[in-house]
Amino acid sequence: MAPPPAPGPRCLLAAPPRPPLHLKPLLLSLVDDHLLPPSPSSSPPSSPPSLSFPLDHPRRDHLLVTVVSAFASALSAPVSRDHEAPHLAALVDALLAAANRPNHAPDRAARALACDALRALDAALPGLLAEALGHLYALAAAERSPAAQSYLLLLASAARHAVRLGRLASGASILAVLTPAAAMEMMAILAEVASAVLQWAPAIAAHIKVQFGGMVHSSSPMLLHSLLTLFVQFPDAFGAEDERTMAHRLALAAREVHRPLAVRLLALHWLLGSVRFRNLVPGLARWFYPAVFDPLALKAKKLDCLASVAAGVDGEKVAAADRASDQATGLLDDGLVCVSAFRWLLAWSTETGVAFRALHSVLVGAAPHSTDGTRCSGAGELLNSTFFHHLQAILVDMASEHQGLVPVIADFTNRLLACNSHRWAGERLLRTLDECLLPRLEPGYQLASYYPIFEKIAQNETVPQHRLIELLTKQMVSLTKKHGPDTELKSWSQGSKVVGICRVMLKHHHSSHIFLPLSHLLVLTIESFPDLEVRDHARICLRMLSCVPGKKLRHIMGVGEQPSGVTPSHSGSLYDIPSPRAAQDLKSMPDLASYIHLERVVPLIVKQSWALTLPNFSVQNRPSGSILSIQDVSSAPSEQENPTGPTIERIGYRQETLRVMDSKGAATLQILRRYFTCVPDYLHSSGFKIRIQCTFRFDSEPFNDAWGLDLPVSGSDGADELPALYAVTITFSSSAHFGKIPSCHIPFILGEPPGSGMDIVPIDNQNREESSYCASVMIELEPQEPSPGLIDVSVEANTENCQVLSGSLKPITVGIEDMFLKASVPPDTPREGVAMYYQDLFHALWEACDSSTNTGRETFPLSGGKGSAAINGTRSVKLLEVTPKVLIGAVERYLASFVVSVSGGSLVTILRGNGVIKNVMWEENVPDASVDADALVPYSPDNNLQLQLVDDDEIGVGAERYGHESKRDMGIMRVMIFLPPGYHLLFLMEVGRASTLVRIRTDHWPCLAYVDEYLEALIS
Amino acid sequence: MSGGGCSVRAIWILTPNDTVAFSRRFAVVEKRWRAAWEAEEGDGEGDRRGTGAAPLLLPADHEVAAAFAERWRREGTARGSGIRTNVSSVGLDSWVDDPITRHIISLRLDKEEGDGFMLWPVVLQKRGGYYVLVLPLVDPQPFRAYENLLKRSDCGSSAKENGNLSSILFNLPCITGAFMVAHVVGDIITGDIAEPEVIVSSGPSVGGLLDSLTGSIGISARAKPIAAPVAAPTASLSSPVGAAQSDSLKGGVRPFDKDLLRNFIIGAMPFGTPQDLNYANVTSIRTTGFSGDPLPTDQKQPAWKPYLYKGRQRIIFTSLETINAALYDRDDVPDFLSVSGQVTCRAELEGLPDVSLPLTGLKTAHVEVSSFHHCVQASEPTANKQTLVFQPPLGNFVLMHYQAPCNIAPPVKGFYQLSMVSENEGAFLFKLTLMEGYKSPFIMDFCMITMPFPRRRVASYDGNPSIGTVSMTEHSIEWRIVSSGRGLSGRSIEATFPGTVKFLPRTVQRINSSFRSVSSIGYTEDSDSEQDNAKNGASLDDYIMEKINKDLHAVDLEEPLSWQVYNYAKVSFKITGGTLSGLTIDPKSVNVYPSVKAPAEYSMQTSSGDYILWNTLGKCPTAALPREL
Repeated sequence: MAPPPAPGPRCLLAAPPRPPLHLKPLLLSLVDDHLLPPSPSSSPPSSPPSLSFPLDHPRRDHLLVTVVSAFASALSAPVSRDHEAPHLAALVDALLAAANRPNHAPDRAARALACDALRALDAALPGLLAEALGHLYALAAAERSPAAQSYLLLLASAARHAVRLGRLASGASILAVLTPAAAMEMMAILAEVASAVLQWAPAIAAHIKVQFGGMVHSSSPMLLHSLLTLFVQFPDAFGAEDERTMAHRLALAAREVHRPLAVRLLALHWLLGSVRFRNLVPGLARWFYPAVFDPLALKAKKLDCLASVAAGVDGEKVAAADRASDQATGLLDDGLVCVSAFRWLLAWSTETGVAFRALHSVLVGAAPHSTDGTRCSGAGELLNSTFFHHLQAILVDMASEHQGLVPVIADFTNRLLACNSHRWAGERLLRTLDECLLPRLEPGYQLASYYPIFEKIAQNETVPQHRLIELLTKQMVSLTKKHGPDTELKSWSQGSKVVGICRVMLKHHHSSHIFLPLSHLLVLTIESFPDLEVRDHARICLRMLSCVPGKKLRHIMGVGEQPSGVTPSHSGSLYDIPSPRAAQDLKSMPDLASYIHLERVVPLIVKQSWALTLPNFSVQNRPSGSILSIQDVSSAPSEQENPTGPTIERIGYRQETLRVMDSKGAATLQILRRYFTCVPDYLHSSGFKIRIQCTFRFDSEPFNDAWGLDLPVSGSDGADELPALYAVTITFSSSAHFGKIPSCHIPFILGEPPGSGMDIVPIDNQNREESSYCASVMIELEPQEPSPGLIDVSVEANTENCQVLSGSLKPITVGIEDMFLKASVPPDTPREGVAMYYQDLFHALWEACDSSTNTGRETFPLSGGKGSAAINGTRSVKLLEVTPKVLIGAVERYLASFVVSVSGGSLVTILRGNGVIKNVMWEENVPDASVDADALVPYSPDNNLQLQLVDDDEIGVGAERYGHESKRDMGIMRVMIFLPPGYHLLFLMEVGRASTLVRIRTDHWPCLAYVDEYLEALIS
Repeated sequence: MSGGGCSVRAIWILTPNDTVAFSRRFAVVEKRWRAAWEAEEGDGEGDRRGTGAAPLLLPADHEVAAAFAERWRREGTARGSGIRTNVSSVGLDSWVDDPITRHIISLRLDKEEGDGFMLWPVVLQKRGGYYVLVLPLVDPQPFRAYENLLKRSDCGSSAKENGNLSSILFNLPCITGAFMVAHVVGDIITGDIAEPEVIVSSGPSVGGLLDSLTGSIGISARAKPIAAPVAAPTASLSSPVGAAQSDSLKGGVRPFDKDLLRNFIIGAMPFGTPQDLNYANVTSIRTTGFSGDPLPTDQKQPAWKPYLYKGRQRIIFTSLETINAALYDRDDVPDFLSVSGQVTCRAELEGLPDVSLPLTGLKTAHVEVSSFHHCVQASEPTANKQTLVFQPPLGNFVLMHYQAPCNIAPPVKGFYQLSMVSENEGAFLFKLTLMEGYKSPFIMDFCMITMPFPRRRVASYDGNPSIGTVSMTEHSIEWRIVSSGRGLSGRSIEATFPGTVKFLPRTVQRINSSFRSVSSIGYTEDSDSEQDNAKNGASLDDYIMEKINKDLHAVDLEEPLSWQVYNYAKVSFKITGGTLSGLTIDPKSVNVYPSVKAPAEYSMQTSSGDYILWNTLGKCPTAALPREL
């Protein structure tokens, strides 16, 4: 490849115009700096004024630099220099002319600069000087002044571009005349040229080694680095021996104290940075031992190298595995000596940072991250290696001996845990800490230093918690014991932290695993810990532990708590401020009642849709307002009666008393007196309570739709996707006289999974699910009047995203049957005498409710002795036209517990045989038709009930009319029902083949209105 | 595109007050940078396409200053950068977890409109209170590789993984070059541009032609003064005293000559690619030119020797050694002694002659490592001998560096004991032997012992040394055993100094708040756990130590250890007349070709570096010695 003929340089300096230029270097620098950014479309500078500079002008150099920079940055390749950029051509020619005086002594600096300028132009516009290559070669060969460097560089650079453009040129020269910086540039260029021609001239590799190999001993880092790049680019040029020398050289370069620190660090990086040298690192271990006076940065990097060696040694798994492991652990121990002060310095000392960085580096060196980011290689081997055991032992010892390091160890663990590839190591480490460190610790105030580690253990699902809980329990006991007047603050602080760890456990563990010991710890705290606040917290924790299930609990614990190591910006869902939506108008929300349900467990027999309400029925006997004022019914004004409505005077409670003289009456009175002393006086104390069992549940899908919940918890488990309600409060109110109804609380409930309601579910399964999807609610009434009614239900609850839900649900219907209670039995009644007692009581009440008797004038003191009751009876009859089978079935199903006696052979036989009714008086013979045929009131909705009641005569006529129509020969059942607060309902059922006549007596006439319907419903 | 060379896109010099004192951009390099990025994006591989040309523009000065200040705030100083701590987060240099990120930093520029971009690799050097930032040209690939390192979410890379920091640095010689640029720029800023020291034992120096030309090239008679005895051997951070000084200096930095620097840059790297970083040469050429200088007739004159010498010929060698020592006086801890030495040379020879210098006694001196000036062609070392052939540059230069153990007994040995009698009073005892085993011509010029107490204020001391004089400063006690002028030669002396020292009661130390807030932010001490320790029967020393250490701040990674937590005595001395390594030059064996009559002179000097007597009764830092594998 002969160089093309050199073009004769044209001299443009012949007739220079002399513009007056007094430019200052600052101006030039300004121009230099503001050449950026050159707009691609701008035209190049119009003229090269520098060329007209006198050679001795002081700013000529600077101006030349500026102008060339301007050209170089403004033009873009490819440029045909003759046509498109005449000024460029002029500039190039001028520069070539300037350079074309080799060995001309005085202007050698100017010539060098001209070369540099040409090179810069050539770099910007590759190929610009391709034609002049031969000429450049001649110049470079001829030049002997120090400017030869610039000529050589120019030649090489031009040659490089010729190579890049496919036109080859030779370019090897003598390095000896170059400065290190220039040599670096030269080598870079030559390397590229040489590698391009390598396939035609393999000998060039050997030549490279000869030319550059000597630089291995240079103290210039630039030369060293350049040589390294040659090692990579020409792998064949250098043998294994050269590589060893080079690696050794680099290891030693880091030990040369005269070098700047950065260079020493770089030398180690170079050693680790290339596979070729990295393999040689293990052999250099002794050179990586940090010295006392090495800067900590260098110690850190040397420890990296030692770690690399140790990891390599351990990874090799040679035959002498033990020895290898010993070596590895030995290296680690030796290395740590140089920063051994970290054991007693404060946790934030730099030594500590370096030491733990080394530990990490060892670990990661042995098990590097895999490229696909899933699982790191070597995990299994490492876990079982002596080396890893040693590492763990170091950490355990450090933790137990140097409490100040505990937070650092916790951070160290955290770093591993946060890494996908090394989570296993962190977890193993935590388990080891749990197994080895915890038994060494004693409860006491100093235990507080270990809380950071405890917290990590508590956070981790893979670590069993029993040791920790046990230790914390001991700690709580110890704190309680040590508590005194001067340790109040400590008790509070430490106790809070322990409970805090318990919270963390709740958050991260299946509650079933930790339930027993943790609840024990919490109970202990609640019972005996001296600080009130800690007790409170423990109480809250315990309540959550016992009420809120599994993952929901863990989710709720996360709300408002910042997990360590996560910056707030990442934790969006955890920082939900209760949105204004909670306070938003609830009217716009869909009706709660459409997806939240409170329902009776036992449906009413009577599908009753009405209720007779007698306003202020008994108001006159009470202190005014004492009850009404409690019944704040403002929430349901629609159902509220006008308080000023008509008052119906109570018929009972006559003040005057009359004595009854006849003996039968006396016996009756006796029984009644005894009985009434057992009836609570609801005016003066609490009366009987009625309990209605209900279930509470809500549907997930409409709930989510309504509240726009997008649950942050994800997982395959179905429960995670279901919404939940927290702290549900159900309050009841009623316009009926049910007294104050206590509200109900449900701590936690999950929404019903969509579609599950209709599924056929095994029964035992249903029971299990009841706890999470369905809560049972007991409504407690204390009626002051036995009447049906509606209970208005309103609910308040928290949703998962901290919104407050409130509204009313469908009301609960209370039927008359809810009021049915068994009459009370005096406590001194023997067990076997109960049946007899009931029978006697039945007869006595039956008598008393006969309007013809005088007992109505009698008053009976109630329990407590303050109030008393009077009986004012009413009678009625009802004919049930059903077969005995239906009737008996209905009675056995709904009224069995209220039956007091059965008489009549066939009836006794049937009922006894069925075995449902027990403990009653069985009479084989029907008493001769002593039953009065006087109270037969056929009920008809068309009739006015009150009128019928008033008109005694008509009743009698009616009874007469029905009395003989059918044979009621099977027998008689007597049923006695207590109606709170102090009334009774008596049925005497004459069961016949075709129909049954029910004679009714009661001391609370309004109930007859419902009884009729009830009886109808009973047999329908 | 950048290949194996080094091109610099820009240089900034920032003041401690986050303003730009100097900046220089190189349009030619910048063009290559843009071309490289555009080529990358043209290939369709650029995942950065959406962000447009943002990374292609160099930021304005004020933006760089702001970015640098911001980085300082984010990364902190001591622990904040270089090591990943619990306050590091993704995207910070400290996330990469390598100490070199204290020197090769990234700057984040947040543009107001749209997203910001990153400058990397910015080579950072702190000199004389200024921060020198040099941004070399790199290809997009390594840039992206580093970006990935900043973003990786795992626990930190290891050397075995692909794309680790080491391999990135390995493939970027431009960073090494930028370091050299930053270094010399730093030298110019601090005025630390004197040539290496060459000691002339006799005769006045004769200024040659060169001297008249340049004037700025150091000559032997004007060798820089020997470091003041009290100060640390270098102006480095390696001693607490020095660190304190540099801190106090921080308030007002010395202004530097920007014209000088600008001139140098035009000469050394006119188009951003460094060609000669030798300050003396570059400036002489720029200032004086070559009017009458003859050229060699048959050889190429090296670029690093722009001028030829003319005048009386001679060649001067000097061995300068620095000894670092950690003396423990304990059975379980071996003493540590190490010598780092250099041979400096000044060859006043006409023409371009070759000089050959045989080195002998390498093996005997256990010379561990040596590196040579780039003009040197060293032969392969044989058993005990290595020959250096070199064409010497003009002026003083370091011919070679070496590391060696101390091959004779340490010049100062003995022990130092300090025991705290109470919280504010301590009793100490020195028992030293000086120059034992050193025969003439070894001369100890001076010797002084300093007991620094950087964290206590000395109230008074009591006690008389067996020899020498004692003085006291606010934070130290100084004991001059051998004063300069009355050198110790040909004999050894024993020196003892028992005494007591009283300190002023400790007041609550005003902590450098900005520093502390960064370094200790991660660990809030639990006050509960600390209180019992004093009662646990720990010794008084431990107790005091613990108390004192509480408000200690973390040292920089450039420090070898936390000096302030130890009690020690620092020995400063200078010895002439021999080397401690035993590696010497025989001036008679120096050959010059073509042969001329030039006398060779040789002198030797050893001074102390970190020469520490650790308190035998206290804690002391150690390092393990390599075990044979």
